[in-house]
Amino acid sequence: MKSFLTIGCLLMVVAWMGAEGGTVPGLSVAGMSVAGKPVPMKLPVPAGWPAPQYDFKKNPLTKEGFLLGRKLFYETALSRDSTISCASCHQQFGAFATYEHPLSHGIDNTLTTRNAPALENLAWQKEFMWDGGINHLDLQPLAPLTAVNEMGETVAGVLHRLQRDTAYVRMFREVFGDTAINTQRMDRALSQYLVMLVSADSKYDRVMQGKDSFLLPERLGYAIFQQKCNSCHREPFFTDFSYRNTGMPLDNTLNDFGRMRITGDRRDSLKFKVPSLRNVAITHPYGHDGRFFSLLNVFEHYRKNMVVTPLTDSILQHRLPLSNFEIGQLTAFLNTLTDTAFLKNPLFAPEGYVITPVFVHRH
Amino acid sequence: MVCVSGLVLVLGLKPSVRHPLMIRFRNCVGNRPLALTGELYSNSFGESFSVQQFKYYVSAVRVGDGGDRGWAGEEGSEGVDRGHTDEGEGSEVILKEAHLVDEGDSSSLVLHLSTDLADVRTISFVVGVDSLANTGGVQGGDLDPMLGMFWTWNTGYIYARLEGESDSAHSPAHRFTWDIGGYKDPSNALRTVTLALGGARGDGARDDGAMGGEVIWITADVLKWFDGKSPVHLAGSPICHQPGALAMRIADNYSTMFSVTP
Repeated sequence: MKSFLTIGCLLMVVAWMGAEGGTVPGLSVAGMSVAGKPVPMKLPVPAGWPAPQYDFKKNPLTKEGFLLGRKLFYETALSRDSTISCASCHQQFGAFATYEHPLSHGIDNTLTTRNAPALENLAWQKEFMWDGGINHLDLQPLAPLTAVNEMGETVAGVLHRLQRDTAYVRMFREVFGDTAINTQRMDRALSQYLVMLVSADSKYDRVMQGKDSFLLPERLGYAIFQQKCNSCHREPFFTDFSYRNTGMPLDNTLNDFGRMRITGDRRDSLKFKVPSLRNVAITHPYGHDGRFFSLLNVFEHYRKNMVVTPLTDSILQHRLPLSNFEIGQLTAFLNTLTDTAFLKNPLFAPEGYVITPVFVHRH
Repeated sequence: MVCVSGLVLVLGLKPSVRHPLMIRFRNCVGNRPLALTGELYSNSFGESFSVQQFKYYVSAVRVGDGGDRGWAGEEGSEGVDRGHTDEGEGSEVILKEAHLVDEGDSSSLVLHLSTDLADVRTISFVVGVDSLANTGGVQGGDLDPMLGMFWTWNTGYIYARLEGESDSAHSPAHRFTWDIGGYKDPSNALRTVTLALGGARGDGARDDGAMGGEVIWITADVLKWFDGKSPVHLAGSPICHQPGALAMRIADNYSTMFSVTP
């Protein structure tokens, strides 16, 4: 009965997306599951984007797999004291970053050393984390799950909990054909949810598709962006997925040397992944440790506060000169990268959750 | 069954006879058996230590007969040192996937395998996990990250672990933890080990297993971790938690720890 309800909801959602204009990346789910076989699903690949990096042959997308992944994403039982889920630090209304928090919180009043990155367009990413230490999306959840200052659990502990939960036993059987619940299946299900978090319906995207047009400051800002920012924050992902030292001095309470910790190469000291600028207006604070509270802080860093060393990125050796005028126009442009359809897509929210937009003005 | 045999005969193929082959691992510290219960041992620098965990992955197990036939089995998996062919021409990979030898789990100390080779003279294996498994997402079985032989924050398998306590280790609680791994150059810690089984079939190196097959006893000596090729002191390096130069040196050392027990 419940699965029929779920399908009903999905169909409604699909209908809703159609009503919204049809460009919302979402499920291309048609029909119901036949004879217990999961319903195949396709990743929405926005026009003009390259093929995804994720290997779907090993983990074919299905409606049931996506729903299981979504349930796991919002599952607090993944943490040792059942207080924290993936969604605790990856909040949909904040583009799956942590809204207004510089450092992610863990169990037992712990803090991590980093700002939770936005989760978007992960199917196109090859490496994960600010330092790129994780080489496969399926492996990514194991890091927060086992870190003592995040969810603080063991993989075995989580699996035992899921194995005792009849709802999960049923869902794993629907997705994988039998009731075995293991590390690989849990992570593959999570990946099915995560790859669907496609953000490609911002005003910028609509302008690029000829469906909308920039206001003057947005257009001027885009031109400045292409001149001064685009070499690292490359379209359409607004990152080139590289690791760069942008002159952010070491915080001696965090001692985070970034990429160097992964490669062991001194030249990688203080290099961090170039973050995507999609939804940047709502992913503050910024930087790998959330040290910049607003976009203005970021602009001030680039034009004035950078600590330039020989290891600082070669294109930033003279910092990044920006006039007040340019900052204003750039801000206008960056605001066009906010994808409200993504932030409010009910498919990405837990089952039965009613999304209340943060920007509704209540009297 | 009859049909299959008939077909084989029609095609003129000899149905291959698989010879059961058991491999048993025996972990020791010098001339003493390894115990994980707090016994004190001493390395060649006089550093005393106890061992709490001792684990290593063995993969791409290949046996050779010293003869001149072509490859009898599949190609070795990635990571096998193909240049190393002094074992002879006739050889067969009898276990491709990684097997975790864990001193704390006696069932892991035995491998039940089989081979086409009638006369096994050499055995070689890789200590570690090939790079495909290191880059291919979440694996199952002995490679399940749940087993903890895996770095979640810097993707990669821990190929071998030696963990314990030593008064010489100036680390918190005097604990030393040596987790060795790394699949990327120049920190690729995969090591291939080749062992000769000595003389002809039936010599002291092998005895009859319960199932009537051969048994190869492989001894792994913990002491070699410290000085197998170059000295690594507990006082100087009590912690190894990532790929790199130290892990490479320790991997070089432990690659010498194996011997076939007569």
